[in-house]
Amino acid sequence: MAGALLLLATGCNEAPPPTGTATPPERFLVVFSQCNNAEPYRASQNRRLEELFSSHPEVKLVIHDGQADAAKQIAQIENSIRQKPSLLIVAPLQRDALSRVMGEALAAGIPTICLERDIVEPNYTTWIRCDNFAIGAMAGQWMTEYLTRKNGAPKGNIVEIRGMQGVEGAINRHAGALSVLTNHSEIRIIHDATANWFQPVAMDRMTEALNAHPVGIDVVYAHNDPMAYGAYLAAKEKGREKEMVFVGVDGLPHEGSRYVQEGILGVTFEYPLCVDKAVEVGLRLLKEPGFRPEKTYLMSSRMIARP
Amino acid sequence: MATVPSAQRSPFPFARWGNWRITLTVFAVFIGAALVSPRSFEGGNIFLDLANLTDALRALVPVAIIALAMTFVILTAGIDLSVGAIIALSGVITARILADWHPAIGLGLHVSLAILAGVIVGLLAGFLNGMLVTWLRIQSFIVTLASMIGLRGLALWVADNERIGLGVGHDAGGLFGTWFSSKPLMVGTWISLSLVFFLILSRTVFGRHLRALGDNATASYLAGLPVVRIQVAAYALSGLLAGISGVLLAARTTTGDPNAGVTMELDAIAMVVIGGTSLSGGRGGIYGTVCGALIIGVVTNVLGLRNVGSNAQLVLKAVIIVLSVAAQRTRERS
Repeated sequence: MAGALLLLATGCNEAPPPTGTATPPERFLVVFSQCNNAEPYRASQNRRLEELFSSHPEVKLVIHDGQADAAKQIAQIENSIRQKPSLLIVAPLQRDALSRVMGEALAAGIPTICLERDIVEPNYTTWIRCDNFAIGAMAGQWMTEYLTRKNGAPKGNIVEIRGMQGVEGAINRHAGALSVLTNHSEIRIIHDATANWFQPVAMDRMTEALNAHPVGIDVVYAHNDPMAYGAYLAAKEKGREKEMVFVGVDGLPHEGSRYVQEGILGVTFEYPLCVDKAVEVGLRLLKEPGFRPEKTYLMSSRMIARP
Repeated sequence: MATVPSAQRSPFPFARWGNWRITLTVFAVFIGAALVSPRSFEGGNIFLDLANLTDALRALVPVAIIALAMTFVILTAGIDLSVGAIIALSGVITARILADWHPAIGLGLHVSLAILAGVIVGLLAGFLNGMLVTWLRIQSFIVTLASMIGLRGLALWVADNERIGLGVGHDAGGLFGTWFSSKPLMVGTWISLSLVFFLILSRTVFGRHLRALGDNATASYLAGLPVVRIQVAAYALSGLLAGISGVLLAARTTTGDPNAGVTMELDAIAMVVIGGTSLSGGRGGIYGTVCGALIIGVVTNVLGLRNVGSNAQLVLKAVIIVLSVAAQRTRERS
């Protein structure tokens, strides 16, 4: 039963079989082990990956969904190793749990790209990563400049809405921002709340922050765009959204970028999908026998603001 | 004949030891919150500010609504774990209809149809739960655990793993958000539903049957009670309220989020047990659940106002749940 469902699920992700005689046969099997399809950022990754490989009919792409379960993702990678794919791309759920099985893939001679998150051993051919600390620092820098413009000096009050505690993204988006903000003694984080990345929770926590601080909030810094949007809605309900500016992170086209265009967020910072680089490097690994990729590629973020 | 608890026959539904105890707890928590509340610049008590109190009420509405029907299910000695997933499904379907369907009908009708679809999906899901529990005689925990998993999958499927944004504009999606997230509407819906469910439980034959069934299922069956219909109705109502709650949550967040409502079923169960309803069925009621919701709402609000760390908040809530249930047990012994 479960096996049948799995077949069904993976079947949905496969490209339609090639039709017509002109289409070259599929020569390469590329497996993407995604840690959790049920996150918008990761859904965008999957879609972009399918889009990029769709112009390469010689590649058969299969995406496995680890469903936020490390054991499941490990089992899926083990199954993939048996199929001897030409390329394995892994977006690991946890840095410890996935290290060993990725080492097994390498040992089986499968080129393995580690996407976005780190693992404890360098068990990958190349690691394409983002830097949350740098993103936090960019946000911190933007907030400092904004407060200087607004208040004539680097001073003012920030409410921080944090992602899930203990998660790398939340830790480094916080630490990065703080690395800049602590240089200015008159910039204060007057309220920080944890909203676990969720928009509805951010609305409730922001409502409490607004009530606790009836005046004097200059900036709301949320660790992702949905929480920034939730904070905006909470302020709007009280007619206070014009008092402060909302800063988000992620910049997905239909979320953060759209909120910025609509004037809801003052700015957001892109958390790169990393898949464009993965496809570029992956295709070279498939087709250029002598190609040696760099051990890591760091994807830079960019600020998304209205012109 | 099944024994109907003596409290049920009391002409004064509030004049019971259990109700007094939970009422006193609500007051104690309320006073405690007022005492520890931060002050505004003018020296006013922020917790007691009317705007804050109504904010706290609105924040708890989505869970407090599902807790009402959860009380019915738990009174029959059952459980409904699927309500969080139903909230996601109903919100996603409403949002899909608003965002991706552009019919040549008036905005009002478009919004109404979207809401109706979300609510009906909830009702159907609940009905299905009830059917599986009664006809296949599978334990409610297992049935609703399965539908929790399956309906979450369905919600993610319908939404294609994305959040469906409705925006804050003047199209159907934006107006839906503006109209249905207002404080009077959200809090009013909860208060009205609380009254209706209170009256159903305390004043109707169906309400008496619910209690009797949870008190002693075999005796109820032998006494000729329509056991199947009672159970199906309880689960259908639970699905219906989850559907309504999902629509309200989608309106408030102007988003259909397939990951919405995660662990909300547990928050709702916590409200029910804090209110003194026994998980073994038969005992408890809507008044307790409303009080349970108020206790959780007040505690959450004041901890947020004081900017208490989220981990400490979880620990404090756990303490409250255990203390409330402990109080309930001493009552049973006495």
